[in-house]
Amino acid sequence: MLPELEATAREHFSAVLTHDIDPAALDLDADMVGHYALTSLNKVLFLTELCETTKVDLGNFTEHDLAGMRTLRDVTTALARHAGPVEN
Amino acid sequence: MTQETLGRLVSTEPTAGRITFADLRGTRALDLADLYRRSGRVARWLLGRGVGPGDRIGIHLANGLEWVLLDLAALRLKVETAGLEPGKFTPSGDLLTRYGLTLLFTDRPADAPGTVGASDVAAAAERTDLDEPALPPVTWGPKDVTTIKFTSGSTGEPKGLGATAGSIDISLRAVQEIFEHRPGDDLFVFLPLSLLQQRYWIYSSLLHGHDVTVTTYEAAFAALRRARPTVVMGVPAFYEAAKRQIEAKRRRFPSLQTAAQAVFGERIRYLWTGSAPAAPSTLRFFDEAGLPIYEGYGLNETCIVTKNHPKAHREGSVGQVLRGKEVLIDEDGVVHVRSEHPVNTHYTYAEPGSSERVFAPDGTVRTGDLGHLDEDGFLFIRGRADDVIVLDNGKKIIVRPIEERMKADPAIAECVLFCPGQTELVAVVSPARVPADREALTARLALTNAALTNDERISRMILADEPFSIDNGLLTSQYKPKRRQILAAHHAAVHNPEEGIHAP
Repeated sequence: MLPELEATAREHFSAVLTHDIDPAALDLDADMVGHYALTSLNKVLFLTELCETTKVDLGNFTEHDLAGMRTLRDVTTALARHAGPVEN
Repeated sequence: MTQETLGRLVSTEPTAGRITFADLRGTRALDLADLYRRSGRVARWLLGRGVGPGDRIGIHLANGLEWVLLDLAALRLKVETAGLEPGKFTPSGDLLTRYGLTLLFTDRPADAPGTVGASDVAAAAERTDLDEPALPPVTWGPKDVTTIKFTSGSTGEPKGLGATAGSIDISLRAVQEIFEHRPGDDLFVFLPLSLLQQRYWIYSSLLHGHDVTVTTYEAAFAALRRARPTVVMGVPAFYEAAKRQIEAKRRRFPSLQTAAQAVFGERIRYLWTGSAPAAPSTLRFFDEAGLPIYEGYGLNETCIVTKNHPKAHREGSVGQVLRGKEVLIDEDGVVHVRSEHPVNTHYTYAEPGSSERVFAPDGTVRTGDLGHLDEDGFLFIRGRADDVIVLDNGKKIIVRPIEERMKADPAIAECVLFCPGQTELVAVVSPARVPADREALTARLALTNAALTNDERISRMILADEPFSIDNGLLTSQYKPKRRQILAAHHAAVHNPEEGIHAP
């Protein structure tokens, strides 16, 4: 479950970045804002799409929760608590 | 003269339309008549707290019902507001003193005397004992200041500008004339309500009976697919993110149009963009996706000056001048804006000398932008007067159009031009991919130069070792390139004529 979620998170994250990065090359522990220039708008866009794919209700998270998700690993850990099987 | 706009807003309960507040968790909708009644309760509550005509309240809140209620209540009492964007200001006693606030409403922790929590506003709006008595009638004269708006410069103390009722009135009328918002429309607002123009869409709903949906910047995409609006009030960064999203969805949908509808819903009548230049490729993309997008131009100091719209639009321009405004181009090509009812003739809060640099005595604004008007009155903006390089032969080069040509290539994330020794133009490029696609970059350099005059040709291109980012100090918090820091980081290469990829 978690490896699938991580792979999906990498794909969706790569899709919102302003520069091309191979999803497999993303560092799960890098700061999404500082290292990958992720804007706040794109952060929610990424999470919205990821939640839709993983069938996790975005409403599970407050804006405070989202602010606390600083790395991809933070995101996958938070979603893993609510995720069902990943749909592609 | 404001009777048909602000005059009606403060005295007439609307008979149609709904306002919806959306966040990550869900939505709450009210009829506009209900909103109006609740704003009356908040107004009486403010009176009870000693706030009266001529006072000023600070609103330091995220977008939401409380912001709108306070704004309407203040208009109904002839109380000034000061919109203080959370994140740019900290609620404190100093803020109250600095801006002459009777009360400061905030949703952040604050214990200074005079600070009031958003929950108190929400509670007041529920109190039916505040449905009476009738509020004293108020009239907003054209020169009366309704609100202090702050410039959003990324450096230095924000300047504060008092927006006059007359300027709001002509802007509301001019926009309605060209876009004809009507029942059945739902305008989607996600930029901070501290930006006065975003409150125009709420005023418009109260005046013209259409719906409005208010959310936050962060929740915009999540709320958009629920709201399915007919109009989106956005900025280029939002549309660029949407474009990437639509492109990512494209392979799962039968057409570009259906992929775009998956993000925006199927009811879009038009998209509004402004506050920064939009990339021509982004504008074309949305037109091709079946979502008409209209770019405009204006500053805090001028409000909306020009706007493309369904009956008059021209590619590459920012539209024709709106009723009540006049655009003048001086001998240096700098755009000046004269208004029948200027936003104001000076800053209320700014360093000495700032007002004189921008405002002529009659309120005509020197924008600092370079532009020209074509024979049909469409304005074209070419760049900032500050971003002009003067060569040793006296020729002035506006860098923005050249940088935009380079950035049109998918291999380039950012491009900044410098002119070491006033003799050659050198580009520092942040590649879109690491390692950089040198072949694509060289081809783009050749293509760009082919379209330029000899004086404008880029002589060579330095590739940044790592993409510009906030982390490495080469992008601002607004994701704009920091020219001085980029030059400092690449100083040796920029100044060494042998360094970099030389133009073919």
